[in-house]
Amino acid sequence: MTAGTLACENIQVSFGGLKAVNGVSFDFAPGRLYGLIGPNGAGKTTLMNALSGHAALSGGRVRLDGTDVTGLAVHQRTRNGLGRSFQITKIFAGMSVLENLQIAAFAHRYRLLPFWLPSGRFKAIRAEAERALEQVGLTALANRPAEYLSHGDQRALEVGLALLSNPRVLLLDEPLAGVGHDQLERAIDLIGRIVKDRTVLLIEHNMDVVMQVSDEIVVMVQGQLLASGSPAEVRANPAVRAAYLGEEA
Amino acid sequence: MMRKNIGTWIMALIVAAMIIVPFVLPSEQWVNLVSLILIWALFAIGFDLAFGVTGMLSFGHAALFGTGGYALTVLMISYQIGFLPAMVAAAVVGALLALGMGLFALRVSGLFFALLTLALAQMIYILASNKLRALTGGLDGIPGVPRPDLFGIDFYDNRNYYVFVVVVFLLGLAMMALLRASPFGRALRAVQANDTRASQLGYNVHALRQSAFAVSGAYAGVAGALLASLMFYISPQMLHWSTSGDVLIMTVLGGKGTLLGPILGVAVFELLKEELSQITQYWYGILGLIFILATIFLRNGIAGLFEGRDDEGGAQ
Repeated sequence: MTAGTLACENIQVSFGGLKAVNGVSFDFAPGRLYGLIGPNGAGKTTLMNALSGHAALSGGRVRLDGTDVTGLAVHQRTRNGLGRSFQITKIFAGMSVLENLQIAAFAHRYRLLPFWLPSGRFKAIRAEAERALEQVGLTALANRPAEYLSHGDQRALEVGLALLSNPRVLLLDEPLAGVGHDQLERAIDLIGRIVKDRTVLLIEHNMDVVMQVSDEIVVMVQGQLLASGSPAEVRANPAVRAAYLGEEA
Repeated sequence: MMRKNIGTWIMALIVAAMIIVPFVLPSEQWVNLVSLILIWALFAIGFDLAFGVTGMLSFGHAALFGTGGYALTVLMISYQIGFLPAMVAAAVVGALLALGMGLFALRVSGLFFALLTLALAQMIYILASNKLRALTGGLDGIPGVPRPDLFGIDFYDNRNYYVFVVVVFLLGLAMMALLRASPFGRALRAVQANDTRASQLGYNVHALRQSAFAVSGAYAGVAGALLASLMFYISPQMLHWSTSGDVLIMTVLGGKGTLLGPILGVAVFELLKEELSQITQYWYGILGLIFILATIFLRNGIAGLFEGRDDEGGAQ
């Protein structure tokens, strides 16, 4: 697997009269981890929605590995190597943790889903799901119904689901949201392990974490890019301090 | 987990016992009642693939059911086509009509989907009872729908036709069991549980919904064909919206999202209808009351009694 490139060309997303994302252009280089920060309402999640296909663009283009994917639906972008986790946990309730991951593995392996054999017959899929289970540290909870997991474990499952499509570009929307202090180390460790050989865009409100794990920080304010650079550069940037960091300090 | 398995076995035993009853008590009344139950059960398990498994509340299944019946009737009477090919055609017509309805209705979801399917089905009801009179016999319907003519067996004998219905029902049930356990069936459950996540995993959610609706339509088409043949008669009543309501009530009563629940739902519905309609002409009202009580106190239907699960497919 090689990490992919993701390019934003003058991306605009409007809701009615509100320009939630207003002309964002940025090239995400392969294999790097980008922390996307900005105050609430800056348009971070909307930008991520535009990249993954959940929000319609009112202008601009999205390129994945140089290919224009602007007109592609969510599932088509996934098949082209774009993965994503969500801020609000989206898992399959009513199914076990392992079943959740198996469903993800089937989506990745099959274009035409087999309807003539029971799911249990697919040993390779099960093995793949079990590997993902181990990767996100949920092996002990394999048969637990997903909705009964603790919040932290659900966040881990959420990441596991995104991983199974083997994305070259991975979008993580607040993977640590709601994770308690006692679980924080484990969650950060998990992120550190899965981002290897991928291009990652990470939205995270915990400044210490984001500065620690990111190769580069991208700052958004009011739907536009304010600055980008290494964590140290961004921290020292007066405009960023005024617009964002300053408020928190 | 253990309890759920035992519950499923008990339900399977009940269904098996019901199928055997007409063989043990070959009275005309039992044979006809269980024939009717199995045909509606085939309709209901098909309906539940769309409703209970994939999460699409259709109010247009009457159109698929009735059109299947008309397809068999017209092909056999006007074109002298044999029963089996005509029944296959009824499945194809049901599936194609479902695809056509889905083309419009699947652009929206939830309540709007239900309303659109209802509107489209009512259009077909009006077409059949009015505009297409030449083909459908209008409100009078078409009498003399033939029975199968196979292997030299006299299927005009209701007991023989019952055996035919049992074979088709068991085939349909086995295929549905496999479909639901397959990766395709799992994906449909995933679409119901969280369609955003399903599409993010790479599933074409729209295509999955369309496929489920089409398969559901094929089941409705076959069931409609069997019913028309059982009654020797078809009329637009089968296309009426209340037919869609009945199959919904039966499915919810039995336990949506379960394989065997809807069958028990149909059995209880038909038995109650049989008994209550002998006592009072207001039987439908009493049935409605029972349904309301069941939705309040039996959240997972009759199947919930056996499987003892808590609410399946609930919130995240």
